[in-house]
Amino acid sequence: MKYFGKKFITLIMTLFIVSVAAFIAFQIIPGDVVTSILGTESTPEREAQLRAELGLDQPPVQRYFSWMGGVLQGDLGVSYRYSKNMNEMMPVAELIGDKLPVTLWLAAISLVLIIVLSIPLGVLWARSKSKLLDVLMGIGTQTAMAVPSFFLGILVTYFFGIFLRWFTPGGYVSYHTDFWRFLGYLLFPAISIAIPKIAMTARFLRNSMMTEMDADYVRTAYSKGCSKRRVMYRHVLRNAMMPVVTFLGMIIAEIIAGSIVVEQVFGLPGVGRLLISSVSTRDFPVVQILILYITFVVIFVYFLVDILYRVIDPRISSK
Amino acid sequence: MIKIENLSVAFEETLAVNQLNLEIFDGEILGIVGESGSGKSVTALSVMGLLSSEATIKGGSIRMGEDWLIKDGKAQDKERLRKAQGNRMSMVFQEPMTSLNPTQKVGGQVDEVLLLHTKMEAQERYDKVLEAFKSVGLKNVEKVYDSYPHQLSGGMRQRVMIAMAIILKPELLIADEPTTALDVRVQNQIIQVLRNINKEQKTSMLFITHDLNLARRICNRIAVMKDGKLVEIGPTEEVFGNPKEPYTRKLIEAVPSRVKEKEDAPECTEEVSVNILEVRDLNIYYHEGSNSLFGQKKKRCVVENATFTLEKGETLGLVGESGCGKTSLCKAILGMNKLVEGEVKHFSTRPQMVFQDPYSSLNPAKTIGWLLQEPLRAAGKLDPACKMTDADMKAAAYDMLQKIGMPEKYFNRWPSQLSGGQRQRISIGQALITRPGLVIADEPVSALDVTIQAQIMELMQKLQEELQLSYLFISHDINVIYKMSDRIMVMKDGKIVEIGDKEVLFTNPKEEYTRLLFAES
Amino acid sequence: MKALIKDYLKNFKGNRYFWAGLVMTLMILLIAVVGYFWTPYSTTEMSATERFQAPSFRHLFGTDNFGRDIFSRVMKGIGTTVFISSLVVILSGAAGIVIGALTGYFGGIVDEIVMRITDAINGFPSILLGLVMITLMGSGSHNLIVSLAIVFTPSYVRIVRSEFIKLRDADYIKRARLMGVGHIRILFVHILPNIFSVFWASMMIGFNNAILAESGMSYLGIGVQPPDASLGKMLSDAQGYLMTAPWYALSPGLAIVWIVLGFSLLSEGIRRLQE
Repeated sequence: MKYFGKKFITLIMTLFIVSVAAFIAFQIIPGDVVTSILGTESTPEREAQLRAELGLDQPPVQRYFSWMGGVLQGDLGVSYRYSKNMNEMMPVAELIGDKLPVTLWLAAISLVLIIVLSIPLGVLWARSKSKLLDVLMGIGTQTAMAVPSFFLGILVTYFFGIFLRWFTPGGYVSYHTDFWRFLGYLLFPAISIAIPKIAMTARFLRNSMMTEMDADYVRTAYSKGCSKRRVMYRHVLRNAMMPVVTFLGMIIAEIIAGSIVVEQVFGLPGVGRLLISSVSTRDFPVVQILILYITFVVIFVYFLVDILYRVIDPRISSK
Repeated sequence: MIKIENLSVAFEETLAVNQLNLEIFDGEILGIVGESGSGKSVTALSVMGLLSSEATIKGGSIRMGEDWLIKDGKAQDKERLRKAQGNRMSMVFQEPMTSLNPTQKVGGQVDEVLLLHTKMEAQERYDKVLEAFKSVGLKNVEKVYDSYPHQLSGGMRQRVMIAMAIILKPELLIADEPTTALDVRVQNQIIQVLRNINKEQKTSMLFITHDLNLARRICNRIAVMKDGKLVEIGPTEEVFGNPKEPYTRKLIEAVPSRVKEKEDAPECTEEVSVNILEVRDLNIYYHEGSNSLFGQKKKRCVVENATFTLEKGETLGLVGESGCGKTSLCKAILGMNKLVEGEVKHFSTRPQMVFQDPYSSLNPAKTIGWLLQEPLRAAGKLDPACKMTDADMKAAAYDMLQKIGMPEKYFNRWPSQLSGGQRQRISIGQALITRPGLVIADEPVSALDVTIQAQIMELMQKLQEELQLSYLFISHDINVIYKMSDRIMVMKDGKIVEIGDKEVLFTNPKEEYTRLLFAES
Repeated sequence: MKALIKDYLKNFKGNRYFWAGLVMTLMILLIAVVGYFWTPYSTTEMSATERFQAPSFRHLFGTDNFGRDIFSRVMKGIGTTVFISSLVVILSGAAGIVIGALTGYFGGIVDEIVMRITDAINGFPSILLGLVMITLMGSGSHNLIVSLAIVFTPSYVRIVRSEFIKLRDADYIKRARLMGVGHIRILFVHILPNIFSVFWASMMIGFNNAILAESGMSYLGIGVQPPDASLGKMLSDAQGYLMTAPWYALSPGLAIVWIVLGFSLLSEGIRRLQE
């Protein structure tokens, strides 16, 4: 329990450091935000007014704390680019809130695909004595790992969308309209994200199993009269899964990275797409919040994996 | 009971076991001794049917009673073999650390044997496992049942392994170096357990070891193996007392024995007694739980009030069980440990150290010649007066190669091309090339085969005379210590228990602990 | 000695991964070098009459929406991608060695801080960090190289550091210290050669990651800027014409797969050689 407390403090500290880093980073960017927002309509009075409205006239330290204070209370600030109407600025929270479920569902489906497919594949590969299967899996996984997710997305679009017509490219359905068709559409981008990761995880599991199979306790198990099957499933698999759990945790960060790109390919209105457009329009409040948000997700997942690891590995949990 | 006929086993093209004939009789303990690579473990694994996939049986048969395990080079089918494994025959391995599944409770792992071979109910099995635990001398058996391997000590783990092996009262128990990884005292307890099993259950045993003294103590008959072949076999005392083969004789002579006296030991010390090392009231501490950012640092005393001296040209043997503070003491003497109180004075240029593991004490990325010259380069940098030309250093390195008994052609070779014994020679050469007066040797021969062990010890004694060296010599092997030392120092729990002349200590130890330690080996 | 060399060559013979990877990588390098000096057609000149030609002998991979020869542009694009990725790997590898060696060997509070930072960055998707860097520095090839180098450095720091931690307590390093060898010499003469194989393996993986990150960012429009040819950018252009000119997307995409696959086969082969 003490360990988790410590881990939790580190988690908070990392978030704090990232928030400061993000804040500072966007302070030193050249170019004045206010003039660029107002563009040609800029007059000294309007500039001063907008500056006050955005809180930009305060000293940086104070601005950081008012920003952070706001974030902690759920006020994520306002976007520089989007506005609700002529007189009202667009709150970042509203902007993100709508897009969050898309990205989260995308990541979730990808993760499920990865876990469900890679583990049996890895076990099958490790168990098989067939030289042919070994070579095929070797080449297949190497190739799958070499395909960038956006190209995979294009291939999936062409094959499933244009050739097989299983879905309409660009025909995204919002989860408000029809949740199941929403999920159905997400399946294809999820496949694009998942394929290289499935290959990676299967390889990793297979190697882990091969290493475990050389361990002394495996010999002991055989000396007791265990069958190969029993040795595999009773003894090897659990030990081999330990590093895989950590590996899957690390993959989650990559799933999120993958979703940023793949959302672009499939025209999904998710967080990734918002991030790209905010980066190119230099909408800093949105970028700041998104960085903080993604950091939080990644770190939190690591935290969960850590806990899970301690639950399944008696060597650590009972120390 | 077991009859091995003309057995040959090969790894790729090299024969690990070559035309072996061997018989194990009912109720006896047969020892197989030999150096590493002699094929003793492969023989055991062939009997058990546990050969790895790289090994192929080239020919021969193994019979257990009336049943064929291997017939004319063909192994019995796996289904039937599995019925015998763990049931009629079982095996105890060398590494108790890794031989148990780290993520399963040990009780369950023993239980699996019953699950596989009997039709007992869960409760019955549980009782039977506890009973087996008790029979191998484990205490608190319910608690042990629910423990994971890492929660048990090495000795306890090995007891669990033995319990697992004997729970079904097998006809044959194979023990492959079962005590090698354990401390001396635990070793003796395990040997006792095995003996009892042999006596009470009439289990035949195949006992594999590289330790001849150990084999002599436990076995009824001894088989000596070399390069996959049987050299000699016979009743233990006959083999030891009257070896027929030259190799057996060589092997027995290589074993350091207390009976043989070191010829010229007294003369060295009589000349002039100048201290090369003085240690007074030395306390050594360690940081405990030093979690740099959060945890507060606690100091723990690992060596208390150490006081002793070491004379020029003398060898001081240091014995004690693992964790008694031997290594910390060495580090402190060499100035590698900063958390010390007290006084360490040495009168030698940069004392050097020789480590136990020959495989990790030479930098694998450098050639032998480079390695031998590096101490000279370092000395030259530290003190311009010691600076030597490249040619001089090269000459010194060649000279040292000759001193340590290595041919010149090794100058340009890499450590990976050398055997363990050769590496240890280079290590010694590297330590001595700057001519330090004091060398600390931390178990320098423990990782080596007996015959190599003898050669290295001889080399160390030869160099000691030539170069007027003083050794602080650490070993857990009492016989090695006896052979090398002039005086002996016994440590326990961070304290020096006793220190004195070796003969006095052996014949008339003052402390109970010393007596125990010496009596047991 | 002869037997040793023979043994070594024997290892090469059966190593299909090594040879396949080597051939694929050499082809890529050849294309990149040739493409730097010569391409069949101009890569920037547009032609309204030549738009969307399907692959033929005249245009091996067809032409794009501006009538430019795709084969020529893929050649140039491969060059750009390989060049940028190599620079990224070299820069970040060098930084990784220096930082990792110092922090791993000496430890202490600096190490603690550096580790926290590298941990935070390492856990982060590299493309996202690249994105942030580009936001800060602005787009363009130079900024792309610098920002990707910064993004990739922590992974090398981590590997080098852990190797140095492992080796700093090795017996032979302890003995070097006893001999009085200076720290800097221990770091770079005694330890560094021993981590080479590990480092080399991670450099190769890093190169592939750099290729994927570069092409990904160019795909998103924040990497290499037009009119420079880049595989990622070509793919994003091609996506708009997937219905009418599917071949446009195929060749730049396959080129990326080819580079990455060739290189991973090569590194897998080398790994097997070392065993």
